[in-house]
Amino acid sequence: MKLYGYLQILIAALLLAPTASAQRARAAAEPNPNPFAGNADAIAQGREIYNDVCTACHGKDGEAGDRALALGAPARRYERSTDAQVFDAIQKGIPGTMMPANRLPEDNAWKVTAYIRGLRGTAIDTPAKGDVAHGQEIFSGKGKCIDCHMINGKGGLSGPDLSNIAAIRKYSSIIDALTKVQHRVATDGGSHAQALFPVTTYQPVRVTTRDGKVVNGILRNEDSFSLQVFGSENQLYLFDRDKLKEVYYVPKSLMPTDFDKRLTPAEFQDLMAFLTRLAVPVPQVPRGGGE
Amino acid sequence: MKFQSYAGTHPASALLLASVLSCTISTGAAQTYQDLLKPNPNNWLQYSGTYDAQRHSLLNQINTSNVPTLQASWVYHMTGAVDLEAVPIVVDGIMYVSQWNRVEALDARVGRLIWQYMRPPQTRGWQRGVAVYGGKVYVGTVDSSLVALDAKTGNLVWETKTEGEGRRMQGAAPLIAKGKVIMGGSGRGGGWIQAFDADTGKHAWTWNVIPKPGEKGVETWEGDSWKLGGGPVWAIGSFDPDLNTLYWGTGQPGVDFVGDIRKGDNLYTDCIVALDIDTGKMKWYFQNTPHDTHDWDSEEALVLVDAPFKGQMRKMLIQANRNGYFYLIDRTNGKFLQGTPFVSKLTWANGMTEDGRPIVVPGSEPTVGGSRVCPSTAGATNWPAPTYDPDTKLFYLIVQEGCGITYKSSSNFKAGMPGSGTGYMESPADQENWQLYVKALDLSGKTVWSYMQVDSNHYGPGLLSTAGGIIFAGEQQGQFTALDAKTGKVLWHFNTGGLITAGPMTYSVGGKQYVAIGSYANFFAFALPDAAAR
Repeated sequence: MKLYGYLQILIAALLLAPTASAQRARAAAEPNPNPFAGNADAIAQGREIYNDVCTACHGKDGEAGDRALALGAPARRYERSTDAQVFDAIQKGIPGTMMPANRLPEDNAWKVTAYIRGLRGTAIDTPAKGDVAHGQEIFSGKGKCIDCHMINGKGGLSGPDLSNIAAIRKYSSIIDALTKVQHRVATDGGSHAQALFPVTTYQPVRVTTRDGKVVNGILRNEDSFSLQVFGSENQLYLFDRDKLKEVYYVPKSLMPTDFDKRLTPAEFQDLMAFLTRLAVPVPQVPRGGGE
Repeated sequence: MKFQSYAGTHPASALLLASVLSCTISTGAAQTYQDLLKPNPNNWLQYSGTYDAQRHSLLNQINTSNVPTLQASWVYHMTGAVDLEAVPIVVDGIMYVSQWNRVEALDARVGRLIWQYMRPPQTRGWQRGVAVYGGKVYVGTVDSSLVALDAKTGNLVWETKTEGEGRRMQGAAPLIAKGKVIMGGSGRGGGWIQAFDADTGKHAWTWNVIPKPGEKGVETWEGDSWKLGGGPVWAIGSFDPDLNTLYWGTGQPGVDFVGDIRKGDNLYTDCIVALDIDTGKMKWYFQNTPHDTHDWDSEEALVLVDAPFKGQMRKMLIQANRNGYFYLIDRTNGKFLQGTPFVSKLTWANGMTEDGRPIVVPGSEPTVGGSRVCPSTAGATNWPAPTYDPDTKLFYLIVQEGCGITYKSSSNFKAGMPGSGTGYMESPADQENWQLYVKALDLSGKTVWSYMQVDSNHYGPGLLSTAGGIIFAGEQQGQFTALDAKTGKVLWHFNTGGLITAGPMTYSVGGKQYVAIGSYANFFAFALPDAAAR
């Protein structure tokens, strides 16, 4: 089965990335009033408060409820996007809607705000608790992640580079990647691709040429006339489609998705603590200057 | 004087200059209503080629035998442009290309810039082309003005504001007929179609999509929900001069995904409407998607074809609609003739009644948690134009197979409430994916051939058919392809290197046929090598 939609979605994810950083840049310009922003413990408490207080209308863990919308759905555009705006909605309600004012203590309202913002941000905004150093050992040892994935120049080539994974993927998306057979990065709907990108889905393919040669690898790009494949022997192959006997799109990803079973709960938590902190610092643009 | 003495010393140059001069003289002046009615096939005079929107060219120098030798003639890079969607217009060797608030005239033989019109603000929205008539080039602007430029120089002749509050001009090319410039748009009260005098820019008439109290159709909006508006008009229509009738499509009702606050059919949203070109009065309407909650605008091309239907010649209007159905309508009276699905994934309706009303499957409406529906909101097809080839008698279109998840904000949504959150997901989590095809349908709706565009999955570019037996199609991945109109077989392809979202066109200058298309920020023109063209 072909997984074209992945491309669409990942393109959208790539396109959204600068927007998210632009939002962060703006947020940096105005100090975040939330005293608990990025505080993992407070975010965990915020989640508990949310699940206790808000789920009369909204769904558990930020999902859609019977009477109110999901708070972290990837396809939505939220009117209230900053901590101050979300806090304001919690404290005062939203006029003209069923959203009431909540008499939460101010601290708790900020914690819920930090939790809701975390639902919409990437993993680095809400890194997991755990032993980071032990998580790194799991990555290189028992988990065998390093066989396929590279971090800061060390590791295998067949999977995505994870050096910046916490800055581009949601917390829940990383968990999905580790535990769900069919996982995908969903993002804003309605946008359509504005430029050409290589295939970023790590779609495994088995290519058979007319003379019977078989190449197994990862699809790097394709169109109606050619394919570019990264072979399992770390070699690039360039194919003309009309010279091929078969292109088989292997339905199952090379990525194992049973890490919640391969690892103990503590090991899994530590791996998450490691992965959710993998971010490359945003380059500082020099002020002024010129040519 | 210098010009003459130069020509005088070089007899061959004198001949050449004379021909260029005559070309210059004819440019812009000859474009009359008669030219639009009976266009010289060497020109591509309007967005859809001709009033009937068939996008079929009579040029056949490039044909199925020699198209494998087609090669790039020139590339024009439109600096700063992205995602070009404009269809170039060519009049007597001059090509007009456009982006928002920007028009450029090129030497269509070689792609060299002749003039440039820029109007602030420069934006990056979509823009689909200009219209040319009576020595002027017409373009809609981002601030909802209509501008007329001198075709030879790009000088501003006049500009006029469209009528109404909260105006928003869309980027469609205008249509010009009987001395009127016709444009669609939308404002605070809903969508509209307006006509202006082509010589002066004076407003002639307005037809509003959303009826007001006292007007017919308002009863299809429960209570005062007509105030929600909607029905934006953002594509070009077509025109039948014999019937003196414009045909135009309208967009979805206001608050796209929330239907329970606007119960009723919500006329005249998602409709095909027939308007008298002289007065703007509606002659008939046909609503493709009554009470739409999936944003299935009826803006897809309205192709006018005279052909037999059940043994009787009919003046038909053909539309492959975003909702997944292929419609045949009698364009003399709006009578529904036939509606057949053209996608394999269609879940929201179980066929149609005799008068063309879809039999809606319960549970298809958006919900707070999201509901899966096929086709997706992006539609089974969209604005990228289809083509009808009178030789093969086939209708060719871009088809998007795929489903979407639609949400609404909350169970008690009220109009005007902030955070309407009417998003939709690209595709559901169960690994279904979108895929584009070029399909050939006969007029019974049967698929004759289907060509899959690898890794093309959203909207797609428009199509062109030619008397050379070719369907020209762009692919999202940047390939420009020539398909055999009879079989769908690829005869030629070229990698333009950019995402293609524009439709192709063809023209001829100096005895040489060219095919042109916009790709990301560039316009490409292709022709045969000189030996093959002879």
